[in-house]
Amino acid sequence: MNDFRIPTLKRKKKVAAVPATPEPVAEMTTVDVLIVGAGFAGLGTAIRLQQAGVKNIAILERGSEVGGTWRDNQYPGAACDIPSNLYSYSFAQNPEWSRGFSGSREILGYVHQLVQRFDLAPLVRFGQNVVSMDFDEASGRWSVRTDNGQTHRARSVVMAQGPLSNSSWPKISGLETYEGHKIHSARWDHSYDFTGKRVAVVGTGASAIQIVPELVKQAAHVKVFQRTPAWVMPRPDYASPEWSKKLFGRIPRAQTAFRELLYWVHESMAVGVVWTTPVTRLFERLAKLYLRSQVPDPWMRRQLTPEFRLGCKRILISNDWYAALQAPNCQLVTWPIANLAPKGIRTVEGIEHQFDCIVFATGFDVSKSGAPFPVTGLGGRKLDAEWSRGAQAYKSVSVSGYPNVFLTFGPNSGPGHNSALVYMEAQIDYIVQGVKKLLDENLKVLDVRAEVQKAYNAGIQKRLLRTNWNSGCRSWYLTEDGFNSTMYPGLATQYRAQMARFEANDYRTMRAA
Amino acid sequence: MQLDLTKMLAKIKDSQWALADIDWDAPGRELVTENAELYPKLKAFMADLMWIEHVGARGFAAMAKKAPTEELREIYRYFHAEEQKHANAEMALMKRWGMLDDADTLPEPNINIRLVVEWLDTYSDQMPLSVLGSVIPMLEITLDGALCKFLLDTVDDPVCHAAFEKINADEARHLGVDFHVLEMLGHGPLYRQGLEFVAKLLDPRLMIGIASYLPLLNKMRDNLVKLGLKEEKLYEAIRKYERVGGTPGGRRNPWFQLISRQGRWVIDRANWAYHVPVDALVKLTARIPASALPAVPTWVKQLTWKPAA
Ligand SMILES: Cc1cc2nc3c(=O)[nH]c(=O)nc-3n(C[C@H](O)[C@H](O)[C@H](O)COP(=O)(O)OP(=O)(O)OC[C@H]3O[C@@H](n4cnc5c(N)ncnc54)[C@H](O)[C@@H]3O)c2cc1C
Ligand SMILES: [Fe+2]
Ligand SMILES: [Fe+2]
Repeated sequence: MNDFRIPTLKRKKKVAAVPATPEPVAEMTTVDVLIVGAGFAGLGTAIRLQQAGVKNIAILERGSEVGGTWRDNQYPGAACDIPSNLYSYSFAQNPEWSRGFSGSREILGYVHQLVQRFDLAPLVRFGQNVVSMDFDEASGRWSVRTDNGQTHRARSVVMAQGPLSNSSWPKISGLETYEGHKIHSARWDHSYDFTGKRVAVVGTGASAIQIVPELVKQAAHVKVFQRTPAWVMPRPDYASPEWSKKLFGRIPRAQTAFRELLYWVHESMAVGVVWTTPVTRLFERLAKLYLRSQVPDPWMRRQLTPEFRLGCKRILISNDWYAALQAPNCQLVTWPIANLAPKGIRTVEGIEHQFDCIVFATGFDVSKSGAPFPVTGLGGRKLDAEWSRGAQAYKSVSVSGYPNVFLTFGPNSGPGHNSALVYMEAQIDYIVQGVKKLLDENLKVLDVRAEVQKAYNAGIQKRLLRTNWNSGCRSWYLTEDGFNSTMYPGLATQYRAQMARFEANDYRTMRAA
Repeated sequence: MQLDLTKMLAKIKDSQWALADIDWDAPGRELVTENAELYPKLKAFMADLMWIEHVGARGFAAMAKKAPTEELREIYRYFHAEEQKHANAEMALMKRWGMLDDADTLPEPNINIRLVVEWLDTYSDQMPLSVLGSVIPMLEITLDGALCKFLLDTVDDPVCHAAFEKINADEARHLGVDFHVLEMLGHGPLYRQGLEFVAKLLDPRLMIGIASYLPLLNKMRDNLVKLGLKEEKLYEAIRKYERVGGTPGGRRNPWFQLISRQGRWVIDRANWAYHVPVDALVKLTARIPASALPAVPTWVKQLTWKPAA
């Protein structure tokens, strides 16, 4: 361990609601790497940094528990839609996955295991909500402020606050006038008993498709409000047999081989999902056949048939979505929502649909045109302003003018067809190289060259034009103006190749005195 | 007629109303229920009217999938729902007037409307925007829009007036967009429009559509006369289609040309070459038993007079 240690809140494995660390504004100590966010990305970065010998790390987490996405999304039915063996870190495989696609709690358990296994608990400081960060050119230090008035100093910062960590409420007029119970999918209220209740679910995206089949089992009546139907494919889920758990436990290479297989299956799907090819049409036909086999009523089928190209928005996978919608106590409502009233939802066909509880499965605020919090770089430049017309970075990790800062899940790093963690690992290993360079060469400034970043983005945007995401539908991948600052236009294999080596020449450096 | 669709969409969203905004139990129902002569005719007329909303609704639903911009698609989604709202409100009036045989069964329309709805449900999703975008304005201006206005001349019940004030305001916006699109459809090379037109006209699916559409206008004319209204009123609306739609762009659209030509034939009662066969079709279709038609599509079952569900 490093001689330096930040005072951390000692915590047992799982504690509910820990108040913000009530410390005085401590004398300013500087860490080598400050990580914002203790989700998969933040924790993974810490693990790899430690393995590379970087020990002076602190993780600031605004919540009271690690896990990010999987801590927040605990709605009934929550699960990953990439097989668990691929939706996990290759450097920390888990032979114990109970299913092909594990549930949210099990994934959260895996995150907790990471913390234990790699002894990350001492690094994490909870209740630290980062509100701004500023670069001091003279010292080459970042000052990171949190909303409880503390300032943390660091030689480098990894922004791992997550792309989907801020839940968003829909812009429906009268939202605040509704007097019944409101629940957001990403802030599930486990104390609410749905038994015998009349429930609305607003939204038909990745979360709703998992929630509705569960709610239908419990509630008296469920109405699902749909704006745009998505492409839905069946999910090849299964309960892991005991022998495979044993095998993977004893021979990790067997699990690696399985993971490789899953990886290549997903890579090959990019041919239809990312770009428009005959395979896209084939997938669309398969999805329509699946819909046809599930929904006999032609009108309902029509309402559930997407009008955009497959892959333009996230493809959803489910085995029970269509069945749930046709349950006797469920109804699909496709009328536009006019407004919320005290007792329920008024739709444009003039009817007030009344409910005891409305579940909003309406997604997240994604900062694709703006910074997640104010970030001030060289010469007082503001990230928020620079990103106002769409976020841009170099290889999704570095932003020119903001030295020594690294992003996970940054601009144009999103996969449409493969596990986010595959991309994340590539980012993390790149970041480790960058941090090592910064520390080993005692740099004050490690800043990607503006022209390098510009050329990189020109290439990315050109390649994006030919992808399905830019084929005309409206999705959270795009800004209001249709700029794509979220997705990576290529195979995971291409992305990993571009991240494999930290090209020092792409960066401007300045040594500390 | 050029329109700012962005502003129109915002206005549509701002002008939403619900069945709950109207007091369906307010005094005045006896103005209808105690008019023994009007009552049975009005009952049939209201049933037709409700279903005519459906004709528009199904047309808009199809257009919502075909419109060239996201904005227009959204407008059509709203219009589709608004037509359903009109039908719901009309059903609520029927309920108020004791015209529903049983609270949960839908009133039966005349066979010609059924045939058009049936055709729309089967084929409208396969028809190009040029066909739908040209014929929907005609249906709206003559039936959806105009019939509502006629009704107000006949019925004094203040609740009916309150409801139709809202419905007519919606219809004014529908017509604005209808004619905007009609104009838009006339842009683009004439020869291509001509080719598409001829190819489509020969499409047997469309021929069935025309065969169900022609008797509808004559049938509704007869119904108006039965209700004691002047058929001249319907003709005014038909003329309006030609007048309002006859912009430079509209005139370049062969579908507009065809539909307004047919409108002129409808108006001209002396044109026996048109009216003899079409009236015969009305008589012929009247003999089709309802049981011969396929079951009503499931979207119809969402109709309700209940303001809250
Ligand atoms: C319901 C759901 C299902 C998903 N399923 C899949 C899947 O199957 N496959 C897949 O590849 N991807 C999936 N994803 C995407 C998922 O977000 C990523 O895979 C991954 O979990 C992101 O990890 P992260 O660490 O980057 O972000 P997060 O997990 O969101 O973690 C970010 C952390 O940062 C903290 N934080 C945020 N802002 C601040 C701040 N200002 N100060 C301090 N702390 C802050 C948050 O509290 C959070 O703990 C899913 C996402 C959701 C929402
Ligand atoms: Fe109408
Ligand atoms: Fe209308």
